[in-house]
Amino acid sequence: MPAAARTDRRRPAVAAVRRLPEFLTIWVPLLLSAGHLISFALWTIWVSFTPSTLVPVSGWVGLRNYTAMVATRNWQIAFDNLLVFGSGFVLLSVLMGLLLAILLDQRIRGENVFRSIFLYPLAVSFVVTGTVWSWLLNPGIGIQKLVNGLGWTSFRFDWLNDREMAIWTIVIAAIWQSSGFAMALFLAGLRSVDPDLIKAAQIDGAGPIRMYRRVILPTLWPITVTVVVIQLQFAITTFDLVRALTGGGPGTATQLPALVVYDFMFQRGLLARGAAAAVLMLLILLAVLLPYAAWRYLQRRQSAHA
Amino acid sequence: MNKITRRAMLASTTGLIAAPRLARAQAVKPRLTVISQWSAGSDGAAITALGKKFEEKGGTWQHSPVPGFTTEMMNKLRAQIMAGDPPACSQLKGPEIAAWSKIAATVNLDALVAAAGYEKVVAPDLARLHKPGGKWISLPLQIYSTNMLFLSKRAMDKAKADRIPVTWAEFNALAENMKAGGVTYPIANGGTRPDDGQKFEAALAGISPAAYRAAMMTLDEKALKGPEVKAAFAQARRIADWMDPNTAAQHYSVNLPRFVAGDMGMMIQGGWAQGVLLNAGFKLDDFIIAPGPCDNGKPVFLLNADAFIFWQRKEPDLQAGQTLMAQLVMDPAIQTMYSQITGSIPVRTDVDLSGAGWSDGQRRTAAALKEAVAANQAVLSLAHNMAQENGMTAAIIDVLTEYVKNKAMTPDQGVARLSNAVEGAR
Amino acid sequence: MRETTFTPNRLLVYLAVLLLAAAYLVPLLVVVLNSLRTSEEIAQTSMIGWPKQWAWGNYVIAWGDFCIAQTCAGIRPYMLNSALVTLPATLISTLLGSVAGYAVSLWRFRGDRWIYGVVALGIFLPQQMRLLPWTVVLRDLNLTNTLTGLVMIHTIQGLSFTTLFCRNYYVAIPQELIRAARIDGAGFYRVFWRIVLPLSPPILIVTVIWQFTHIWNEFLYGVTFTTGQQQPVTAALIALSASVADIPQHGVQSAAVMIAALPTLLVYLFGGRYFVRGLTAGAVK
Repeated sequence: MPAAARTDRRRPAVAAVRRLPEFLTIWVPLLLSAGHLISFALWTIWVSFTPSTLVPVSGWVGLRNYTAMVATRNWQIAFDNLLVFGSGFVLLSVLMGLLLAILLDQRIRGENVFRSIFLYPLAVSFVVTGTVWSWLLNPGIGIQKLVNGLGWTSFRFDWLNDREMAIWTIVIAAIWQSSGFAMALFLAGLRSVDPDLIKAAQIDGAGPIRMYRRVILPTLWPITVTVVVIQLQFAITTFDLVRALTGGGPGTATQLPALVVYDFMFQRGLLARGAAAAVLMLLILLAVLLPYAAWRYLQRRQSAHA
Repeated sequence: MNKITRRAMLASTTGLIAAPRLARAQAVKPRLTVISQWSAGSDGAAITALGKKFEEKGGTWQHSPVPGFTTEMMNKLRAQIMAGDPPACSQLKGPEIAAWSKIAATVNLDALVAAAGYEKVVAPDLARLHKPGGKWISLPLQIYSTNMLFLSKRAMDKAKADRIPVTWAEFNALAENMKAGGVTYPIANGGTRPDDGQKFEAALAGISPAAYRAAMMTLDEKALKGPEVKAAFAQARRIADWMDPNTAAQHYSVNLPRFVAGDMGMMIQGGWAQGVLLNAGFKLDDFIIAPGPCDNGKPVFLLNADAFIFWQRKEPDLQAGQTLMAQLVMDPAIQTMYSQITGSIPVRTDVDLSGAGWSDGQRRTAAALKEAVAANQAVLSLAHNMAQENGMTAAIIDVLTEYVKNKAMTPDQGVARLSNAVEGAR
Repeated sequence: MRETTFTPNRLLVYLAVLLLAAAYLVPLLVVVLNSLRTSEEIAQTSMIGWPKQWAWGNYVIAWGDFCIAQTCAGIRPYMLNSALVTLPATLISTLLGSVAGYAVSLWRFRGDRWIYGVVALGIFLPQQMRLLPWTVVLRDLNLTNTLTGLVMIHTIQGLSFTTLFCRNYYVAIPQELIRAARIDGAGFYRVFWRIVLPLSPPILIVTVIWQFTHIWNEFLYGVTFTTGQQQPVTAALIALSASVADIPQHGVQSAAVMIAALPTLLVYLFGGRYFVRGLTAGAVK
């Protein structure tokens, strides 16, 4: 047994002090992070049960803020929109990222240039993205006008003004902004597929489709999960982009929970209502993440017992 | 040793007691910390000019403009108040003044207001907003009307019209004539939330100022469900139908080129639109400004006014700064300077606008205000947060903006949704 | 070199890539063109268009001349403020994140999975729920309206992302390496320094790029927790556009947007290939 361990056995106090820097290095950042997250969440939950309007005050109003928020049209519209936007955006941005990655994986000339072109939108701030796309998608000055001007006069692309379709304009702008990240992840994944597996499959006579299904896509599965998580985070918290692109309009057609929270907390001076909306947002998130966490837990148990 | 020490101590203590009085007698250099949202454009220029005047009088001016809109400014104000460090003076307006005055201590300005004789020259509805507890705690600075009628000269020519419409019926007739004469879209308004609010409030105030007062300012239930409100929704629907369907949520300024060219006919906008038109390079003889339509013959004035609120501070130099600022803001010369820069009209009803620095539009607006006050038809704008607190205003505008964008909504549905929204936000 | 497993018509591939690349470039093109048009021209015609006269002066005004209230120094001082906040916050949060990621994935300790779970979930906490609590914290620490306060906020918040990225990268490092080193008597720091850190550059670059971009482009905290001359560049950009009584100066604003976006654009231009490399090989789970 090494000498140091023998000494530490006999003097646990010395051992503890010697390990103090390590202990601090591990725990201080993690506790700061976890601590602030938990305390901020708890604070918001507390505020949601108070009668706070302009500034936080103490008091107890039970579930009044929650029932009021759930009964608000803006929230109901926002909730529906989140389901549509969330699922649509995540699915489409994953597909777009995959498509871009497959294309770039074909060893084309100028791959570096194309990769930079698909990645640069990540560098742009959300406010700029929303503003520029609001110009491009405006039928009077943007894409529709351009296509009409080129001769195809019956072309219409006025989703921005259409109360049913406006939410999809946000999907378009959001995909432009963030598909580069998905592409980067998938490209990394495609490039890390085990060449032996591919050779084995080729020897077995597998065609391209089967190659993808049996070898490549399963390798990409863990990466897909990460992409979905990051894009989900974007979908739930996105705020600046929507505000700049549609402002929640036309009318109230593209309200989203993050906008409602900001609107009620800060614009309307109704802190407690806004806090209740924020807590509801977190509950929606839990509803999505808990089943996934449970599934992963079961998976691990299975593979441990297998 | 003891005798000397005791006498010395007595002398020094007396000196200490005397010192504060001495300091008060000396002049304290006034200083002012200001928070506002006016960082650019003519608003920014105006407040910078005000700051220069403050410094000319010997003060130190410390203005922190908060970029963004009013919400960002309020966030900053809230953060400062929560940190225990409110600015000596900040921008605030409307019923929010009363609401915010409950969360932090303000300065009682009664003495200064009385000394300047200010209360006599301010419109009563406006003065009321600045005295939430019966005492003056804030001072209004400039007035805009939100229901001015802008007419494109070229569009008027196309409609072969030579009279400015005075009632809503005449307005509607003119719009039809414009359409018949080849004006593609008779209305050039935008689609932002305040803009949608403006369309409705101009309609309601024009149909019946008394109904507007009852419904929008007092939130009387019967008035909210009454025939005037329904008629206002119907008029708003007509206005919306005459607009370019591609407007969506855009700012009205994107329509200005077509407005001037005669492809769009009329705008119901605040007086600030004149400044916007001129800054865009258009000329005064491209358009006509008139008061918004009112059905009972006398002008109705929808008031929008900015103001400064004064937060209590212990520091003597900030207190001196507040006194100086209050005096400046009530001064007719300063109000003249400010309004000439921004294109608004002064708060004081006794300012003479016949001088060179004023435009016809401003003169017409000031005259409209005077007449409206005399006829008790100067009301507070809902769309610009003067009639109600932000929460209630936002709830009402939710209904209005959806109504304007959703052509399938009927006036009856509008009325129902409106009263629901008001009840829900009470 | 892996053989391409799927060889569609090469022409089709090039066509698709070119079309998509053009679509992705359009927004950038619009802003660049606007930055070279005069504001009057934009106001009188449309937001999208080809310059009639080339307004190179927009960049000069944006850089050093335009006025925010009484200060007419352009965007230059605000760029410096952004740098003073972004660089320290990025570096510190990346360093702490890599140590934390290493601790929870390789070094292991009691409760590591739980605390990592909380920290990682933090990426979902929306901004609005953090604004007022940070106000209270800054007040209690006497850091209101300081750049230091802003650095602290971004560092602590950034830990969620940086720990997530680094941990997911480190799980691919075989445990045997670590075990062997510990048996040889190496402690926490030596294992990190000798084994983990040399393997880290790819993920560190990813993390740095991600953090730099997010902190540089951040607006809400920058505006609320700073004043006047200390504000970051995102605040200055908004100052150019928000005004009820005027048309925004679109030409100068677009030029300012381009200048402000330059650091992050350059980061992606030069760091792009490392970005992809850093996410390679079991990097993510």
